[in-house]
Amino acid sequence: MDVGDLLRRVIEGDQRAWDELVGRFGGLVWSIARGYRLGALTDDVVQTVWLRLAESCDRIRDPERLAAWLATTTRNEALRVSTKQARTRSVGDLPERADPSASSLDEIVTDDDTLRHVLHGFAQLPAKDQDLLRLLCTVPPLDYATIGEMLGRPIGSIGPSRDRALAKLKKLLPPGLEDHQRRQSRKGEAE
Amino acid sequence: MTDEPIHDDELLDLLGRAIDAADPVPDHVLDGARAAFTWRTIDTELAELVFDSTQELAGVRAEEANRQVTFRAPGVEIEVMVIENGSRRLVGQLVPPAMHTVELVGADAVRSVESDQLGRFTFEALEPGPVRLVVLGADGARIVQTEWVLF
Repeated sequence: MDVGDLLRRVIEGDQRAWDELVGRFGGLVWSIARGYRLGALTDDVVQTVWLRLAESCDRIRDPERLAAWLATTTRNEALRVSTKQARTRSVGDLPERADPSASSLDEIVTDDDTLRHVLHGFAQLPAKDQDLLRLLCTVPPLDYATIGEMLGRPIGSIGPSRDRALAKLKKLLPPGLEDHQRRQSRKGEAE
Repeated sequence: MTDEPIHDDELLDLLGRAIDAADPVPDHVLDGARAAFTWRTIDTELAELVFDSTQELAGVRAEEANRQVTFRAPGVEIEVMVIENGSRRLVGQLVPPAMHTVELVGADAVRSVESDQLGRFTFEALEPGPVRLVVLGADGARIVQTEWVLF
């Protein structure tokens, strides 16, 4: 069922259609919100985005662009909160982390070696590259125009920046990762 | 066996899966998202956020920490300020001034107060989390409600 059908059902009062939207786009909203490093406020930002969709579901004109709508709404809410945080923070409590680019992902481990290596490399990238790559690997994917708008960068710079950020990431990966990954995917195909 | 370097799309796919595996959406966040369905609004006049001091003053080192926002619907504006004085107080005014019941709706609770002749109203001890304001008519029907905001 496409997004337009789901939205129509939501307007008619179908909770299951809404749950399906949450299932399809929940990871996208969460991942983007996490990119703003808001700590516990992330939960409130995500909740606000879903409430906003609930109040606007009859005014989404282009259902194909729902991912972009959710992404930019998440960004706007996150920026409101982070501006407020920055303004109300007194000199006494400066950021707890010396390096604002340090991602909490670095401290989280997964069982999968390949994914762990990728995460470790990702966490060592400059914040600018992390922000871009995070937007480039969402499910469902976002178009370059939306990503450019979210980052305040021209659309034509996204492709080249993507290539540079991925080249940096590859240098941070241990040799032989690609072989491991291919073995894994071949195993997956055989099953 | 191949010496080919990992392909860009393949690496992005891996990164997406790695981020999701390391930092999945918490269950309580998904529960909240599903519950937002209850609050869907159809055919009600919605007052949109048209001014937000945190946006106007972005990049400026402002001494004033109190946040001011304005909501606007055809024929009515709702001016709101959140005063950070330890306990957070929300003060608002209906423009043009009018005496109405004003509700502060959170995801878990609803509180209501009466606006005075100047359209002013106050909610003490604002809890964290998204809220919206709802203005009721004399018959208890919703006249206008604001977008959800996070103060």
